[in-house]
Amino acid sequence: MRKLMLALLLGLATGAAGESGAIAGDKKPLPLPTYGQAYAPTTVDERGIWMLADEDERRLQDSPSRIKDPELNAYVRNVLCRTVGEDRCKSVRIYIQQVPFFNASMSPNGTMTVWSGLLLRVRNEAELGSILGHEFGHFELRHQLRSFRNRRTGSDIMAWASVLVRNSGDIRYNAWGQIYAFDRAQERDADLIGFQYLAGSQYPSSAAADVWDHAMLESDASAVGRRGSARHKYVAGIFATHPTDLARATYLRTASIEAADVKPAIVDRHRAAMAKWLPIFLNDQIKLNDFGGSEYVIGCLAEGGWSGALLFARGELYRERGNPRDLVSAAQFYQEAIAKGDAPPEAYRGLGLSLLRSQQIAEGQAALATYLRLKPDAADAALLSTLVSR
Amino acid sequence: MSTRHLAALGALTALLLAQPVSAGNTLVRAGQRVAVAKSAMTVMPGTEWNKLGARPGRNSETWTQDGEALNDLTFYGGIEVGRPLFREVDKKNRPLPKVSATMLVTDIPVLLENSYRVALDTSSFGIDVIEPARFAGNDGVRFTYHFSKQNETLQRRGEARGAVIGGKLYMITYEAPGLYYYDRSAAAFRSVADSVKL
Repeated sequence: MRKLMLALLLGLATGAAGESGAIAGDKKPLPLPTYGQAYAPTTVDERGIWMLADEDERRLQDSPSRIKDPELNAYVRNVLCRTVGEDRCKSVRIYIQQVPFFNASMSPNGTMTVWSGLLLRVRNEAELGSILGHEFGHFELRHQLRSFRNRRTGSDIMAWASVLVRNSGDIRYNAWGQIYAFDRAQERDADLIGFQYLAGSQYPSSAAADVWDHAMLESDASAVGRRGSARHKYVAGIFATHPTDLARATYLRTASIEAADVKPAIVDRHRAAMAKWLPIFLNDQIKLNDFGGSEYVIGCLAEGGWSGALLFARGELYRERGNPRDLVSAAQFYQEAIAKGDAPPEAYRGLGLSLLRSQQIAEGQAALATYLRLKPDAADAALLSTLVSR
Repeated sequence: MSTRHLAALGALTALLLAQPVSAGNTLVRAGQRVAVAKSAMTVMPGTEWNKLGARPGRNSETWTQDGEALNDLTFYGGIEVGRPLFREVDKKNRPLPKVSATMLVTDIPVLLENSYRVALDTSSFGIDVIEPARFAGNDGVRFTYHFSKQNETLQRRGEARGAVIGGKLYMITYEAPGLYYYDRSAAAFRSVADSVKL
């Protein structure tokens, strides 16, 4: 009886899988690429998934966290086009969201979302291109559609198993695990196709592995800052959505050693595009209350030298944590920023507040008075003047 | 079913029915001075409010008139050094900023802003007006702000007044959607906030 039930389940599964697009040797023509001009989805599933994606894109356009600045959008679009090629990048609409975490995503209809935390963390155009190429790979390979079909098959198996089989716990657990394993394999495929785009573009393919090396270092710094332990695994858990950072760094590094291409990674153009947004993105990052991770990010940005703006950001970070020794360090960073000459006037404000909190009242009031003189129309000018006059 | 089984079933039912499913909201009457947030802070509301049974944190309490999402008047009564404003959901991965012993009056809006950014997972938070104000007879701050939660387009507005008194943070915040609801209950909030005493 049990064997009959299992055979029935397997029959259902393969039947469902058979419908879902095995092209092997049948009469159906090869599907057009999704990035083609005026592409129209043909099958029921794909039409449905595009309809949902179109609705989400409509809401995304009105999102309050969307960054509409034309220069930044043009910069990200240019990097995408240089990575995947002009004919492919025409089909993609890029939306930049002001969210301070490292992430980007792709919808089945060509909507690409990039978070500001990602723009803050990539160090050059090649690293940005590697992430954008990975996301485009999801679009080109129709991953969301395949993932949906796989989930449907898996949940069918789970539903039938719970009805037909007596102790179906194992079957259902493994079906869930298989769904996540399928998604992880898709992420790996997207990594590898993104790598191929990089290798064929003007950017070095080693940037793909660099991104994950930096991600691991940042999560180590963050864990240490929160009194945790820095730990990385090679094998992802059964319900993990992505391969681990360590695994991704390893296979991408192996591939880039084989490719052995040496090209410039283009740092200057990236820094120029980010210059206007760095204070805003750093402010969002510092307010996340992640001291170790933020310190790592600021330190990486300062690899070309500590500018006044970066020293100011470091001072803000230490003042935000606010331990007694941090306040002394913060005052020092603010003073160094002011000495550089290109610090914003808020450096005097931060210096004054740090000194006041360290019980250096006279010096703190002097610094705040300087700030109020430089910026008399500041939003908290009235409040700061009460601190000065006491 | 035997009598013993019936008696056990009856006892169990009585036990379940005796405890309310939700902790229960209570009515706050107008014109009476009440202590709030399990602290020495007292206010006298000019209109009726509902006090929610669920508290945002240990030393805080929330009042509302039409529901928490439509108007939210929260009292923080003496948050101590080293404690966050409200209950942390994920202490390990998303810790909230804590009250500091050396906190200045300018750090009060920063504490609220950073706590909301982490807890609501949003960076759409902006502070509009900051000015010095008296709070319960001490020097404090009054500030207004606006924010929206992630994946929501609804813009919420808020006003807060607070001070650090005796090394502890006391604050009253009022939040409502910017469209219609904020202005509707703003006067009721101001009468409560103006009457605060410690």
